[in-house]
Amino acid sequence: MISLVRYLAADVLRGQRFLAPMLVFLGVLGMLFSYDPGPQLSAFSGSAALIYPIGAWLAVVVATSEDVVRREITVVSAGGWPRVLTAVAVTAVVFGLAFAVVATVWAVVASPRPYTVPQVLAGLGVHGVSVLLGIGVGLMFARPVFDAIGRTVLVVFGVVVMTYPLGRHTPLGWVLDTLGHNQVTLSALWAGLVGAALVAGAVVLGVRRV
Amino acid sequence: MSGYLGVVLLDQVSKRYGRGQWVLRDLTLEVSGLTVLTGANGTGKSTLLKIAAGVLKPTSGRVKRPASVGYVPERFPSDVKMSASSYLAHLGRIRRTAAGDVLERLGFVGSLTAPMSELSKGNAQKVALAQAFLATDLLVLDEPWTGLDPAAAAELVSMLEGRTALVSDHEGHLASATRVDLAGGHVTIELSRVVGLEALEALEGVRSVLSRGSSARVVVAPDRSDQVLAEALRLGCSVRSVR
Repeated sequence: MISLVRYLAADVLRGQRFLAPMLVFLGVLGMLFSYDPGPQLSAFSGSAALIYPIGAWLAVVVATSEDVVRREITVVSAGGWPRVLTAVAVTAVVFGLAFAVVATVWAVVASPRPYTVPQVLAGLGVHGVSVLLGIGVGLMFARPVFDAIGRTVLVVFGVVVMTYPLGRHTPLGWVLDTLGHNQVTLSALWAGLVGAALVAGAVVLGVRRV
Repeated sequence: MSGYLGVVLLDQVSKRYGRGQWVLRDLTLEVSGLTVLTGANGTGKSTLLKIAAGVLKPTSGRVKRPASVGYVPERFPSDVKMSASSYLAHLGRIRRTAAGDVLERLGFVGSLTAPMSELSKGNAQKVALAQAFLATDLLVLDEPWTGLDPAAAAELVSMLEGRTALVSDHEGHLASATRVDLAGGHVTIELSRVVGLEALEALEGVRSVLSRGSSARVVVAPDRSDQVLAEALRLGCSVRSVR
């Protein structure tokens, strides 16, 4: 599995399609933290809201980095679709967690307020949960569940955009709501479990679809 | 070809895409050596190869295949940014095996460290073949001679000798291999109280014989089914069904 994840990660990096979500992410992070972002935990609200669509975008990039024919070769080499789709999910999560670390560190460095270790860990947690939710949405509608990239982009965009007005009725809303009160509660953990379930569900759905 | 002696077995395999037409119907095939698939365009060769390799699931039927399968698709993609050496090293690690001398034997010329998108069609095909030959048990090759020069094509023929492989071959490179013609469909004869299996296997038009205990399933070219049926009855077999 590790060698498969290494191969997929190398392919994503070589393909350079990850650059677009990464540059948007860094650019918006820069804008978010160009002024005082507020109390310690509340400061993570903007970046936690940002990393969710970035995670979805990243997941689509990872899932479609190999074209269909090369994916077939990888499937045969690795011994089947379940291993490859699991590796795709793991690769997307690894990339997403790297983005979560960047978002947390950026907030801590940019904020004029001092952070305690538990607050930094809470920041890592909420960013990790938000990016996991995004990755789950991205994988759920990317190849092989949806074959056409145009359909994938439209549906993922639609789901991501619809998430924000639904507020506290979505797992992302639970995270943002708790951060709005400058605290991190158990609801963030439940949101993380929903994110993990989305990612696992996308793998299962993909395996059934092929 | 009696019993489950082969390394890949397709048992009553059918395939359709969505609600479209059936591409394959009730195909039974056992591969234990070098087997060539022939047939006109659209007869399901590539679909059958994908099912044998494990890329596609059949709509119905069973597939038994070994652990280590190598696959070359009909068209290797031309826009791969990864270098050939990096690609082969990664796939070797995934398979936990070292790259062999396939590229040298096929006369690969060009840069192994440049992106594969910069390779010629023939050299890209050699990379595709090199990754497939990392497999130890079975090769599934879809038109593997595409883009190869005559020397490389001849070398590939010699490399396939003694291997277990399922190959689609329009151009007749593998004259001595077992041939399975997908064109024109087939007839499946189910037999019980089977006697004289070897005699049935030797009959003209018999594509595969699969035996289990005293029963057997014989797949025959449609134009030879009457003769095979008559011979089976003459040998004393009982005919359970003809489809």
